[in-house]
This record gives sequence, structure tokens and C-alpha cells, in this order.
Amino acid sequence: MAQVILKDVVKNYGDVYAVNHVSLTVEDGEFVALVGPSGCGKTTTLNLVAGLIPMSGGTVSIGDRDVTDLDPKDRDIAMVFQNYALYPQKSVYKNLAFPLQMRKLPKEEIDKRVQAAAKTLDIVHLLERKPRELSGGQQQRVALGRALVREPRAFLMDEPLSNLDAKLRVQMRSEIKRFHQDLNATIIYVTHDQLEAVTMSDKMAVMNGGFLQQYDSPANVFANPVNMFVASFVGSPAMSLVPLTAASKDGRVVLTGPEGWEMPLSDANGRKALSAKSSKVVLGGRHSTIKVHKSQVPGSVPGKVYTVEPTGDVTFAQVFVSGAVVNVSVAPTFQLRPDEPVFLEFDQDRMHLFDGETEMALRLQ
Amino acid sequence: MTAMEMSAGAAKRRGAGGWRWSGRIFLLLLLGFTVMPMIWMFITSLKTGFAAMQYPPQWWPAEPTLENYWRLIDPSGNVGRDFIQYFWNSIWVSTLTTILAVVVAVPAAYAFSRFRFPGRNFLFFAVLLRNMFPAVVFLVPLFILMKALGLVNTHGSLILTYLTFGLPLAIWLLKGFYDNIPVQLEQAARIDGATRFQAFLLIVMPLSTPGIIATSIYSFIGAWNEYIYAYTFLTRHDQMTLPVGIQRFFSENATDWPGLMAATFMMSIPVVVLFLVLQRYFVRALTEGAVKH
Repeated sequence: MAQVILKDVVKNYGDVYAVNHVSLTVEDGEFVALVGPSGCGKTTTLNLVAGLIPMSGGTVSIGDRDVTDLDPKDRDIAMVFQNYALYPQKSVYKNLAFPLQMRKLPKEEIDKRVQAAAKTLDIVHLLERKPRELSGGQQQRVALGRALVREPRAFLMDEPLSNLDAKLRVQMRSEIKRFHQDLNATIIYVTHDQLEAVTMSDKMAVMNGGFLQQYDSPANVFANPVNMFVASFVGSPAMSLVPLTAASKDGRVVLTGPEGWEMPLSDANGRKALSAKSSKVVLGGRHSTIKVHKSQVPGSVPGKVYTVEPTGDVTFAQVFVSGAVVNVSVAPTFQLRPDEPVFLEFDQDRMHLFDGETEMALRLQ
Repeated sequence: MTAMEMSAGAAKRRGAGGWRWSGRIFLLLLLGFTVMPMIWMFITSLKTGFAAMQYPPQWWPAEPTLENYWRLIDPSGNVGRDFIQYFWNSIWVSTLTTILAVVVAVPAAYAFSRFRFPGRNFLFFAVLLRNMFPAVVFLVPLFILMKALGLVNTHGSLILTYLTFGLPLAIWLLKGFYDNIPVQLEQAARIDGATRFQAFLLIVMPLSTPGIIATSIYSFIGAWNEYIYAYTFLTRHDQMTLPVGIQRFFSENATDWPGLMAATFMMSIPVVVLFLVLQRYFVRALTEGAVKH
């Protein structure tokens, strides 16, 4: 296993930049999730690491080798594809043996390794079958086996779970995590599902529009999103964002809504709000940090219930505040009705403030 | 379920059955329409010249004879010697056309399917453009061209001409097959240690076998049946292909119907055999599942 370093990687098609100056380091044995909405450049980035498409600029190194100009076959990596890409005309055994045959290993060695990989993944009984005779989960295992059999320097995975049904996906999620722990493998894992990224990875690289937005541990990305995009992408339900105006009043900083209501900020939050480029400040809050009241309490802001979604353990609700939708959660015993007026109290210590102009998080200097 | 619903269901089933039967009758009629001429061709080929001209016609010859066939394959007779020559000419021209078409079409179709290069759409359109005109439009220009190249009265002129028809179709057909082979299979192979060419040879080619077979059949049949160019480009008897050669059964005074029918029957054998032998692979390969879509 090895370290993977992307330095200033660019892929453009004319004026369209699919990957825009992305730099990141995946440490040896680390599980990194590349995550973002469709078209954000995550799969393109993975293909650049694999060498499947030529780079427009920058370098990629794996281990201590610069592989920027090497063919995929010489990069010593393995890849698991979204559609598994099992060779349909070959049996499972031959699918697993193919990467070893290509490297001209002796027959006995190939057999030994194929059997070992099959045993690890519990697919020994499937070795003589053709891919089409396997279920989705079994195909997925074979795809993993084909990656694992060669003992590559790094594993690249392109949305490997998105073709599975919900139940199997959860099961395979823990199996891949287990696979990572047992092998101490370096894994770069592409997904559009932020939940997969959060639950599986050591670090997540959030991408949007070809740019790397934030690269940090899931806990840090969750707690300290660098901008409004990351804030609204990570977490389920997403962080709610309410565009407001910051103003100084009687020595305190308050956020005012378009309807005229005011919400005083703590000293620390007040200083953050004033560091914005203009008076436009966006208030961000996760559902777990917002309290719902039926009547006004100091510091709360008025809203109107839009939808109520009981899930059993907890009831989620969407509340309109100054035209923006705010996701909140309440105990199932707390009765809410659509169109009911409520008051939301944001936790001053856990709220997020963003610059309305630059969309970047406001931090204490 | 109430009684009314049940009877409605039964009526629906009966209705579906009625449709099934009328469908079968329609298919049977269609089958008769296409097969009857072939049966009549075969029956006539078993008749003597006299019996073939009788009215009312004999549905089955009173004295069936294989004499017409013996004449065709007897190398010591005039008819047999020529027929065997035509037959080999046709086999040679059609086979070579097919091989060349496939050898050129496979990489061309692969390139059209996988690569984005400047002029790609224009080139693909240009390839198809040739097939948008009736063959006869190109007869005179191509004849002049062949004459300039010194190819008149050679099989080369036919093979080149047939390629101008066969190749576009072959490229177009094969591109469709390559489009349906997920690019991830090649990517997987390249990551597994194959070069781009090995990935094509070891993974993509075997998967496109049904496409290659279908393309081969099309181009073989096209060349095998072609008449007008063969008639125009070849004047020497020993060069002629079957469609032109069997014209000799028509003469000014009389037409040797049984001889003609025996020759056309023989002519259809290679095509039928080709289909029967290859259709097995064709169907098997088509039902092979590739990846989860």
C-alpha cells in the first residue's frame, strides 16, 4: 500500500474545467471519500488517478513514483466500477485470474491467489459461474476480489454500492469498511452519497464544480463546513441556511429578518457577523441545534410550519423562516400542524454564519 | 372476486386467445408467401424440360429427376464446367469482400464508437452518405474509374465496388455493437494490466462476436447476390459470378426453366448454410449478459 498525492491536477475540455486545480494527499492506509453532486468532477478525478483519461495539468504520484505519464497498467492500482465491469464471457475464476495472467504470474501462483481472494470474500462456491448468473451483491464481491487479488498499491472505487438495493448497500458498506481495516488498504472512494462518505471514510474531499471545497475528517467537515455548499451538502437533513442582515444595535450585533424581527447574537457571533464583506449574513443551523417553541422566547425567530414528517424516533419538520426552509426536529410527542406559527431558537454556540457575498464561513480571526 | 369480474376476466382471456390465433394465421400466410417461391423453385428443378412447360402445371413431377443437378456439377460437360467456375468466382469474390470489410470495419467502428476526434460526426455521415444513393447512380462513374485503374474484367473491380456498399453498413452495424459494450470493461482490463490493444483484443473483440458475425453475413449476402455491377464490369466468361452466369439458361429461343431453377437452388445453399451454422453463435452471444445496467 502507498500514499497517493495529487498536485494541482487539472482536466479541462476547452473552456469547461471538469477538475480545477485539485491538490490532495491520501496517506498510506487511509480511506478517502471523494464526494459531491453529479458533475462535480469526482469521477473524473478518480479516472485521472487511474490514468484512464489524459490530464490537462498537474501531477499524480503513487508511492514514491510520479505516475502522471504512465499507462493505467503500469500504475499498480486496482479499481472497482459502479457497474462492476466483470468480464461477461469469463467465469468468476477467470475474472479473478485475469489481472494475474496479464502480469504473467505462474499458473500455481495464480491459482493460490485466486483461491485465497475467493475465500476472503466468501465466493469460493461461485468460482465456476458466469457473472450473469450472480446476484448484485455477489457480483460486487467478485469485483472486489478482482481488485484484491493483485495486492495493488491503492484501491480506487467508483460508486461501488450505488447499484445495490438499500439493504444490501448497508451490508456491503460495512464489508468494505472491514476490508479496508483488515488490509490496511489505501482507498479512494467516489460517492455522491454524503452518508456513505461520512460513515466510511477517514477523510472526505467535498467537490463542487470541479473545485475541491474541503478536505478533512468527516467530523470536522460536519462541524466546521468552510462554505455554504459544504454546509448544505453534508448532513441529513441538510443544514438550513437563512439569508439575513447584520446590524449593530445598542452595542450588540443583531441579525434582522426582512419582516423586521431581530435576533441578538452572542459576542463571538457578533464579531464574526461584522467581519462579513457586507451586511449580508447567512445564518446556518442543523436540525439538532434548533429548538422549536410554540410561543416567543427571547432570541427566537418567527416561522411557519410547512411539512411534518414523523419517522418514529424523531419527527422532522420544515419551517419557513423569512422565505427560507429550515429543517428542525422535535420529539414525537411534540404536536406540530402544517401552517402553525412557531418560534425557532438557534443555539448560539453551534450556529454557523456565512458571508452572504462570498458564501464562505465566517470565522473568528 | 365477483362472478361478473370473473366472466370479464375469462372474456379477456378468450379475447387474447383470439388475437393469438389470428396472429398465427397471419404469420402462416406470410410464411407461405415467402416460402412458396422457394418450394416452386425446388419442384421445378426436379422436372424435365417438357414437364416444366405443361399446363395445367404438375404440383409434383410425375417423373422427378435429379438430372438438372447432375448437369450442373458434372465438370466434364459444358454447363457443369461453367457453373462450377461461376460458383468458385462467387465464393472467392464474396469471401474476400467479407474478410476485407470486417478487417477494415472493426477498427473503424471501434474508433467511431470510442474516440472523440475532430470531424468525427462529419466522417460518420460521409460513410453513410454512400448508402443513400441507389447503386445504379454510381455504375458509370465506377466503370470509368475501374477502367482507368485497369481493373475492368478482374474480380478486384467487384471486390472494391462491393466494399463501397458493404463497408459503410458494416461500420454502422459494428459501431452499434461497440456502443453497447460498456467502456468500463476496457478500463477494467487496462487497470488489470492490459494495454489498450490487449483490452480490445481480449475483452471487447470476443464480446462483439455476434456483431462481427452479423456483419459478415450481411456483407457476404450482399456480394453474393449482386448482379448489376458484375454484369457491367465483367465480360469474360471465366470471370463471371453466379448471378450473371446463370443468365445463360435464358436463350433467344427457349428458357431452360428446370436448369435455371436447379442453379438458383444451388446458389441459395451457401447462404442458407451460413445462416444455419452461424445463427447458433448469433443467438447465444446476443443473450449473454454483460454488466448490470
